[in-house]
Amino acid sequence: MVNYDGQLYTIEGVAAGLIMLLTAFIVVGTTSVYTPGDTHITDMQLEQMGSDALHMMNTPNTSAASAESALQSMIKNNEKDRFGETFLSFCDTTAGGTTDTLQFSADIYYHKSNPMPEGSVYKVNFTESRHLTGGEHAVRVTEWVQVDNSVGGVLLPASPPLDTRVQAVLVEVLVWRD
Amino acid sequence: MPDDGGNLSIDFLAGMTLFMIALIWVATMIPGLLIGLQSRSIDYDAVAYRTGVILVEDPGMPANPPWEIKDDLQKDEIERFGLTISKETPNILKISKVERFFCSTSFSYPDDYRQRVIFGDRPYQFNISLTTFDGMVNDSVGDIKPDGYGYIRRVVKMKYPSNATIQDPNIRNSGPSANVTTHIFSLNINCTNLIGDEINPAYQINPLRDQILVNITNLSKARVFTNLITGDLLYNPCSLDSIKIYRQNPSQPLVQVRTVDDAYIDGGSNLSAIPPVPPGPIVNDTVSIIFPAGFFYGMANDNTQLYINYTFTLTQKDNFFNNSFTSPYPYNYDPNKVTQPKLKEGVLEVAIW
Repeated sequence: MVNYDGQLYTIEGVAAGLIMLLTAFIVVGTTSVYTPGDTHITDMQLEQMGSDALHMMNTPNTSAASAESALQSMIKNNEKDRFGETFLSFCDTTAGGTTDTLQFSADIYYHKSNPMPEGSVYKVNFTESRHLTGGEHAVRVTEWVQVDNSVGGVLLPASPPLDTRVQAVLVEVLVWRD
Repeated sequence: MPDDGGNLSIDFLAGMTLFMIALIWVATMIPGLLIGLQSRSIDYDAVAYRTGVILVEDPGMPANPPWEIKDDLQKDEIERFGLTISKETPNILKISKVERFFCSTSFSYPDDYRQRVIFGDRPYQFNISLTTFDGMVNDSVGDIKPDGYGYIRRVVKMKYPSNATIQDPNIRNSGPSANVTTHIFSLNINCTNLIGDEINPAYQINPLRDQILVNITNLSKARVFTNLITGDLLYNPCSLDSIKIYRQNPSQPLVQVRTVDDAYIDGGSNLSAIPPVPPGPIVNDTVSIIFPAGFFYGMANDNTQLYINYTFTLTQKDNFFNNSFTSPYPYNYDPNKVTQPKLKEGVLEVAIW
């Protein structure tokens, strides 16, 4: 026989439940002050580290006129493995002797004026430590790098060759933590 | 028999909905009202970031003369620590600043550091560490880090100063006029050229601010002569009688400004005194002098020519380490003569709690 024992007859029960949920919401909300700025602290730390790493990779260790930065050399000679090792060693090393667990994906943007269409900008994936699936919370760091291809020969992976001239290419690296 | 005791009227539903919306709105405002209290972890990260920027992107205050050449008695004049060479070269740290910063005998933890690099009203605890990838530098100041702390990590490069290793065979003089007992070897530091020829502070040799190391070696080969009677090889005893520094500013005469009172002799780890009156210490093979950063600051300017004259005395007349008949050895940007400044990678980490 059907009866009403399991049903909620009055609004008091619903209201009490909602008030309990609200109380929990308020308690959590007031004890954990999570402002939009907080979400960027971790991003800022990653971004600063990645930016520093790229900048230092693009700083030659000596002043000799022939000295090119490690980053210039890596792009010029398509040294993908060396880029990955160097970038991660810069980002992962801590002063305390432990290591961080960062991942990256590096792209190169370059402008190509010859052949037509003039003014085309190409993007090529240079190298990556792990394939970006889309679920990662990555930050973007960039560095302009002067690449001397005046005599040709600079080959980027699976892409149209650079113009035979000295040209600035943009290295963009997405960095995220495991 | 069913009744309608649990049913809701539309009016009540509307009123309840409005009430709930208002309540949720007020509840979401409360955290914003308390934002002034701030979370400590947010504050720690911000202070760590600020400290990292000061250390890695600022040369410190005073900048001229630089704070790192202030001795312990003058440390109250240091307003702010900063490890970079200049504002134009962020992330490029100067090793003399680093050594001074981490000197535990000069600065006491935590007060000296709180006043000059951490700042803030709260007495923060901190740990600042610097490590180069080649292991040459591994310095730290502060407490052991607890479980929760704010931090920033900066990738940097350390500028290692220039040095000159001068070997005897290249300098040894010959000819009858050089066959004497007293020999003078002169080294020229041309501030005008050194500061003007390389404008990037990251690679510049700046005698006024950088350490300069001069290492003279292989002197034993210059002291060898042959006994004309027996044909045996003999070593001519040699003493280092003085090291004098001369200065020449534009349109001014050459003047002696000071003497160097000690030097590292024959690879020893202790300094050997050079007395004001000869004879000086016996030298078998090497003489090394380290002019610390700022050594020349008070005695020279951007247009000064400095000459460092070594006077050696042999027991027997002989040709020896002597360039007084030719020209002073130039301390310049020629890598064949001077090992140029070099940058090496490292990481600086600031932890605040």
